[in-house]
Amino acid sequence: MLTKISKRAGRLRTTLSRATAVPVIVRFAVLLTGLLALGVAWPAELLATRYFTLLAVVAVWPAIAPGGRGGTAVALTAIGGWLLDTAGFDARVALWRVLALAALLYLAHTLTALAAVLPIDAIVNFDVPGLWLGRAAVVILISSVLIVLALGLTADLGGSAFQLATLAGIAGAGVVTVLLARMARRE
Amino acid sequence: MTEPSAPVWLPTRALGRTVLLTGLLLLLGVILGRVDLVLLAAPFAIGAAINLHRRPRAVPEVTITADEGHIVEGGEVEAGLTVANPDAIGYDLVVVRARTSPWLRLRHADRPFAITVPSDGWAAIDLPGEATRWGRQDVGPAAARAAACGGLLACRPVVTPARGVRVYPVTEPFNATEAMPAAAGLVGAHRSRRPGEGGELAGVRQFAPGDRLRRIDWRVSLRTRDLHVAYTLSDRDAEVLILLDVLGDVGLPGGVRGSSSVLDTTVRAAAAIAEHYLHRGDRVSMLEFGASGRRLRAASGRRQYLTVLEWLLDVRADPVDDISLAPQHISSSALVVVLTPLVDPRAADMLAQLTQTGRFTVAVDTMPKDAAPAVRNQWTPAATRLWRIERENVLGRLREHGVPVVTWAGAGSLDLVLRDVARMASAPRGR
Repeated sequence: MLTKISKRAGRLRTTLSRATAVPVIVRFAVLLTGLLALGVAWPAELLATRYFTLLAVVAVWPAIAPGGRGGTAVALTAIGGWLLDTAGFDARVALWRVLALAALLYLAHTLTALAAVLPIDAIVNFDVPGLWLGRAAVVILISSVLIVLALGLTADLGGSAFQLATLAGIAGAGVVTVLLARMARRE
Repeated sequence: MTEPSAPVWLPTRALGRTVLLTGLLLLLGVILGRVDLVLLAAPFAIGAAINLHRRPRAVPEVTITADEGHIVEGGEVEAGLTVANPDAIGYDLVVVRARTSPWLRLRHADRPFAITVPSDGWAAIDLPGEATRWGRQDVGPAAARAAACGGLLACRPVVTPARGVRVYPVTEPFNATEAMPAAAGLVGAHRSRRPGEGGELAGVRQFAPGDRLRRIDWRVSLRTRDLHVAYTLSDRDAEVLILLDVLGDVGLPGGVRGSSSVLDTTVRAAAAIAEHYLHRGDRVSMLEFGASGRRLRAASGRRQYLTVLEWLLDVRADPVDDISLAPQHISSSALVVVLTPLVDPRAADMLAQLTQTGRFTVAVDTMPKDAAPAVRNQWTPAATRLWRIERENVLGRLREHGVPVVTWAGAGSLDLVLRDVARMASAPRGR
């Protein structure tokens, strides 16, 4: 048991000593975006308590092991916090919070995907994170426009939010189903 | 019916996360009637749609490039990796790793490289460095794994076999000026003990029928009033057989600037001796004293020198239980230079046998001065001392049997001992 622990510690030391700048920055960005997403989603009252430590531990998970389920855990925790805040604490669904949460969740997700395929001791060309972040920026920009338009429509038209959500949800589900069906056919 | 091959591009955990989060948020949005939840799913759905709009089919092609030139230990090596993308869409990330021989000190070769490769394009990684030891040193194998579609898909690793770099041994300066013990051919650089056409003046004698007119020494002829000619010793070449004891290796190889193992000394000394004698116009052959008993036929000239260097690249420790050397396959007039650490008693037996059969044999001791077995217990130093005493005993007995043993020390190592061998060779042979 002790031998195993010392072996693991030795491996960790070697890994850290060989780490290069870009993969470390990417992992730090995973941690930061995850923490910010959790901070935006969770009720401010709970963030000031000891629960913040638990949230920080969840946010650290994908930064340490990006190839694992840490990225999913952070996203699900953030969504849970968002539901808790808006349904449990009756917080208002503010546009800036939806925009920030959507952008941060996606950034955390895509940076975790990058960190998962980027060895920590790799020598990285700068166009790798550049291309990755550029594409993420395009996605976030399109999503932001959509979010602003959708939330604006619900506010301006005074229509039922429930109906809009149902329509948008069904459309979204249809798009995802078509996408998955196409992927399955190609395989 | 052929089995369908496994897909080369596989979904990553990021794709699974995308599908899970999109589905969950849409479901919750519909159930709870919350448009904000549906909108939170938007970046994931849009990202998946943009990234998976076009999907890669081909895997990256990795090519290893390595120097083909004449590289000597301590020389610079230019190696590289080229990753090509035959697909119509670019790879967002390709991670390339290469294993290299420990005797090639290539820059950052121990780290993976992360690069992007555009569609129908390629990207190159330079691996400049230094070759630190002779032999066939490998660059590779190299493995590449590509990620595309924003990390939602990744291909299986593609492995490319290694490419060898030929690193020739550095030839330590060597200059044996003493005569060869026995010259065999009709032409060459060595003066023989027989009169004939050559450049070495042997003396002046009276003109005899058959002498060439241009050989007449006019000064002596005028003084003596009788025709005299200058006669010379004929020039001869010789065969040198370099016999390499490869029954084992002793000592830690440390590269060109570090410590030398027995095989290092053997190969470098063999290259130096071969270069020296081939430069003088002699014929040089090589023979391994080991399991495979590789042999290189005697020849002379620059081409033979290059062949010798190539032959030396494949020298390995080649232990065997039962071995015997057939002296009848060795030319009786050849100078046999045996490079041996004299660790195995069979090497000493072989030397004694060669000398007994009348071969002009010189043993070159290739044992490193500081060679000692790893200390395993308190008896190891005492055992090492005993072994050294026993080895000294073997060397003494070999000298008593007329086998000159000399420690390889580069320049002039063999001069003294070659003089002794030449003197022995000039004596009439008893057997």
